[in-house]
Amino acid sequence: MIVPEWALHTSFLTSASIAAPWVAAGFLTTLRRQVRTFGCIAALLSILASTGLVWQAPKGESLYETLMLLFSSLTFGAILLLPRRDAEAGVIGGILILLGSTLLAYSTGNLLVLLGAWILSSLPFLWPGWFRSHTWRPAVSLVFSALALAAAIGIIAGSTRVVSIGNLKGQSPGGIAAFALLIVATIFRKGILPFHAWVADAAERGPLVPTALLLNGHLGALLVVKLIVPLFPETDHLFPIVSYFAIATAVFVAVRALAENSPRRLLAFLALSQSACILTGLESRTAEGMTGALVHWVVVTVSTVGLFGILRLLEVRFGENLSASRHLGLAQHAPRLAVSFVILGLALVGLPGTLGFCSQDLLIQGTLTTHPLTGLLLPIATAMNAVSFFRLFTRLFLGKQRTGFTIAADALPRERWVLAGIVLFVVLGGLFPNETVIEHSSGVDVGGTTRRFDDRDIVYSNNSSSPQFRSGEPRLIAAQQVHGSKARIAQSARAPRASTEF
Amino acid sequence: MNAFQNILVFVVVAPAGIFAVFALLWLLGWNPSERLLSGTTGITFSACSAGVAALIWKTSSALSVTATFGSWFAVGTYHFPLVLMVDRLSVPFVALAVVLSGLIGQFSATYLHRESGFLRFFLLLHLFAFGSLLAFAAGSFDLLAAGWEIVGITSVLLIGFFERRPAPVENGLYVFGIYRTCDMGLLVAIFAMHHWAGTASFVAGFPRFTGAQEVIICLLLLFAASGKAAQVPFSGWLPRAMEGPTPSSAIFYGAISIHAGAYLLLRAQPLLAQSVIASCLVILIGAITAIHGTIVGRASADAKTSLAYATLTQVGIVFIEIGLGWRWLAIAHILGNATIRTMQYLRAPSMLHDYHQMHSAIGGELSPTGTQLEEMLPEKVHLWLYRWALDRGHLDTMTERWIIDPLSQLSAYLSRGDQRPSPSPAPIPTGCAAEPSTSGSSQGGN
Repeated sequence: MIVPEWALHTSFLTSASIAAPWVAAGFLTTLRRQVRTFGCIAALLSILASTGLVWQAPKGESLYETLMLLFSSLTFGAILLLPRRDAEAGVIGGILILLGSTLLAYSTGNLLVLLGAWILSSLPFLWPGWFRSHTWRPAVSLVFSALALAAAIGIIAGSTRVVSIGNLKGQSPGGIAAFALLIVATIFRKGILPFHAWVADAAERGPLVPTALLLNGHLGALLVVKLIVPLFPETDHLFPIVSYFAIATAVFVAVRALAENSPRRLLAFLALSQSACILTGLESRTAEGMTGALVHWVVVTVSTVGLFGILRLLEVRFGENLSASRHLGLAQHAPRLAVSFVILGLALVGLPGTLGFCSQDLLIQGTLTTHPLTGLLLPIATAMNAVSFFRLFTRLFLGKQRTGFTIAADALPRERWVLAGIVLFVVLGGLFPNETVIEHSSGVDVGGTTRRFDDRDIVYSNNSSSPQFRSGEPRLIAAQQVHGSKARIAQSARAPRASTEF
Repeated sequence: MNAFQNILVFVVVAPAGIFAVFALLWLLGWNPSERLLSGTTGITFSACSAGVAALIWKTSSALSVTATFGSWFAVGTYHFPLVLMVDRLSVPFVALAVVLSGLIGQFSATYLHRESGFLRFFLLLHLFAFGSLLAFAAGSFDLLAAGWEIVGITSVLLIGFFERRPAPVENGLYVFGIYRTCDMGLLVAIFAMHHWAGTASFVAGFPRFTGAQEVIICLLLLFAASGKAAQVPFSGWLPRAMEGPTPSSAIFYGAISIHAGAYLLLRAQPLLAQSVIASCLVILIGAITAIHGTIVGRASADAKTSLAYATLTQVGIVFIEIGLGWRWLAIAHILGNATIRTMQYLRAPSMLHDYHQMHSAIGGELSPTGTQLEEMLPEKVHLWLYRWALDRGHLDTMTERWIIDPLSQLSAYLSRGDQRPSPSPAPIPTGCAAEPSTSGSSQGGN
């Protein structure tokens, strides 16, 4: 069958990937049967459209398209993984709204659309009746992050009359006020210290799988990649503050998790600690650190959605009073869930042979170069997270001879296929990281360190000890990518600030 | 690639392939028979042993066999080299890992017959074999660290093999904590090598470092090696690791894993030789561990723990040999110790029977070694040492009091900042919590 040309157009594919889940969510307000099938079809359409986008994107420049494909695939898996009691029209509708808005945030180049997507992705969690979530901290944090972003965008748009991200690059629009508000939005959204408590509350008292998807949209990190770094090169001397906050969060939350006994909270802390490392890598401004951060983004997303999903399946089977304060021995009844759990958890903390190992390696390598202290604290936080995770695993799955008469089901076929797919992804990704992930998210040049943020490359000089770099003015070099090769051609040596609009 | 390079790759990758195939098929619902598993294991390690024989023959005439695959991943100026190499240092370790893994596989086919974790054991044995072979045949510290960590995680999972009792599982968690802590030394050393020299590969010789850099790297490597080799002050985990099944204790703590730390130091010998401080520290740690091992081992009440401390004593002496630069003596010592300890561990379940036979044969009891040294000490010191040995040198107590408890208290203190806004759910009654519910609701949710 010949696919019509318009169906392969980027704008059509982008619109389709976003509209399909939203339209399906609209239908689900009236539909009460076969909601899981309906949700799966919508997510599948998003996957197909995102695949088309990845396929059409130039090699090495498909970061956002890859993230769209990843998130839509995970949403598809999450809908399949949902236990029957959770697979209601409202829950799946909320997940589809989250999917559409997250894809919109990834794909947009417009500030106002980004703000809309940001708010829309929070909406199901702000309305108490939607997911039957009754905690105030998540709602307050999401509202504050949206307000901070709205204020920042208001200042930017008011001062420049421009809302296109591409046209604002390197201009520091709105000055320090806009920059600070964007940082505040990131801190609230990502749960950076001291606003970390909402993440644990959301996981404990809210819907587990949708919360996992909310956290793993990583819109906070997206804000750093999409707006903060490319728009504010003049304020680069303030970027390390983000890194320090992030590493403080990673270590603080890792210590905090050591004595936590609620599995939901513990997993939320692990996810938060590991995802905070993403910001340290993004801030490191080295190719290794930034690529490591993006690969880590993928690892954290995939692993934590799988872990939260498995935890929910355990709750449904064995009751919701699971605790890490004593041994429960659940592996006796659910060995496949146990194995999937341990592989995903160890991938999250960097087990060799999984994608987590590559991301940790790159992250630490990158951050050590620019911030040695941060680079040293990262493995410490990861080691503590590994111990906390292993404690959770042993307490949930091992250490007890269960004597109940009822045999609970291990992973059902649909769950088994989803979990096998997720496990295969982290393992194959770890064995072939270049082919699966890094090529989609990295860019390397001969003259310096480059990271593709949108449609242009920003290159920071390797000579990080140069006076220019120290004085807080990064070298911006337009780089032209040579297809399929590590080599890139630096077009100009050092551009003055006025010429950052290439 | 030439034939020997292909053989090297096959020897390292074959156990991983078997692990991957069986694990994936099991995850999708298939349960292989014991006969198939043990047969596959036997064939795999037999083929690997033949390959190792070829590698030994080759390395006796050439310096090394190296297989280079470029980079595992590369970003910017950083790349993770994917280089396998066997030379005269690593080939004895590779041979030891392959032969002992095969032997343990054959032994376990009978020993663990109809054990509920039969498949799990064999999968972990293959994964362990892959990890150890990767560590020994690595051409760079990066790849060595990958194998190193795989050995660590399989070790921990096998300590908790009897998963229906809490003690093995808790001991596994303790060992995991020690491993992860000490592995940081290796990771940071590798990052330091990349940072200062741009590479952690040793295929073409060691990169050059300044004196201070050498000391820092050596100390970090020593930290990692001490953790893996259970040297003082990390010795507390070794008796805990005896909770695992006897075959895994034999190969991990009698032969391969316990000597991996010594291999790391041997590999880093060119650096170590440049640093007097690090060499002296290696000798000091080895000496303290040897004395600690022999004293505590004398007060151990069970066979496997006595063997563990006997191994530890020998590994301490190996560290001394490495610190003194007696490289080939250390290798010979490791090979001898690993072989004899594996045999002793495997015979441990029949130890009483063996002793009765020996006592019958000699017409009396065997006299314990070192009694003449014990008699030289005054009675009070005897008693003090006995109490010290019973508590295993107070190492566990110190770890708990100075590390685990303060961290737990700090964690509990930090939890005040994120207490839930609403009251916690009622405490779960002990003993019946989270048992499989007999109600339809919890079963029918899926």
